[in-house]
Amino acid sequence: MRIRLRFFAMLREKLGAAVEREARAGATVSAVWHAFVAEHPEVARVQVRFAVDEAYVEPGHRLADGDEVAVFPPVSGGA
Amino acid sequence: MFRIVRRRIDLAALDRAVRDAKAGAVVTFVGTTRNENAGRQVRRLEYEALESMATKEMRALAATAKKRWRLRKVGMVHRIGVVPVGEASVAIAVSSGHRTEAFDACRWLIDRLKEIVPIWKKEHYRGGEIWIGAQQGGPAPRRRR
Repeated sequence: MRIRLRFFAMLREKLGAAVEREARAGATVSAVWHAFVAEHPEVARVQVRFAVDEAYVEPGHRLADGDEVAVFPPVSGGA
Repeated sequence: MFRIVRRRIDLAALDRAVRDAKAGAVVTFVGTTRNENAGRQVRRLEYEALESMATKEMRALAATAKKRWRLRKVGMVHRIGVVPVGEASVAIAVSSGHRTEAFDACRWLIDRLKEIVPIWKKEHYRGGEIWIGAQQGGPAPRRRR
């Protein structure tokens, strides 16, 4: 299945706005991210959180074909 | 009022949005950009957001706050893009029948916003730039031309 990873803030600067990857049917967010990190070890140490359809999901969340996963570095809103 | 804006935050509009005939208190928190951080001389701050999710998360926080405290109205506005030093980057207003609830809820809302709303801050300081919250062993100053 096709999964799109979308990046923000420091991840966007390092990796670009988004990438698409093939993943096994029913793959979890965590599996897709770890496969991607294997290609990009420079972001392996970044603490990330994930969102699908504009809601936070756990790393164990199972993805469906065409899903977009927003990958967030630590948020830092406020002043 | 739950908004992500690219210009100066309209504090008067936020205040109007939470006014309520049954309210005896309006507490407003305004976060402003400071000219120093961790010993760095800050020139400006730049914010980025996943806007649609950010407003959704702000609404969800307000809904939770209304369950926890007896509140009348809540409004939250965050500015993104470049915010010069000394200007407001975030404002939260809460109205309630009595002041205690409004103070407590406002404090909780800004703390939670900083923890979960998808907004990121990049600090441009004298000698470099850094995404706050994403420190991986300290800042890597950008070489200046």
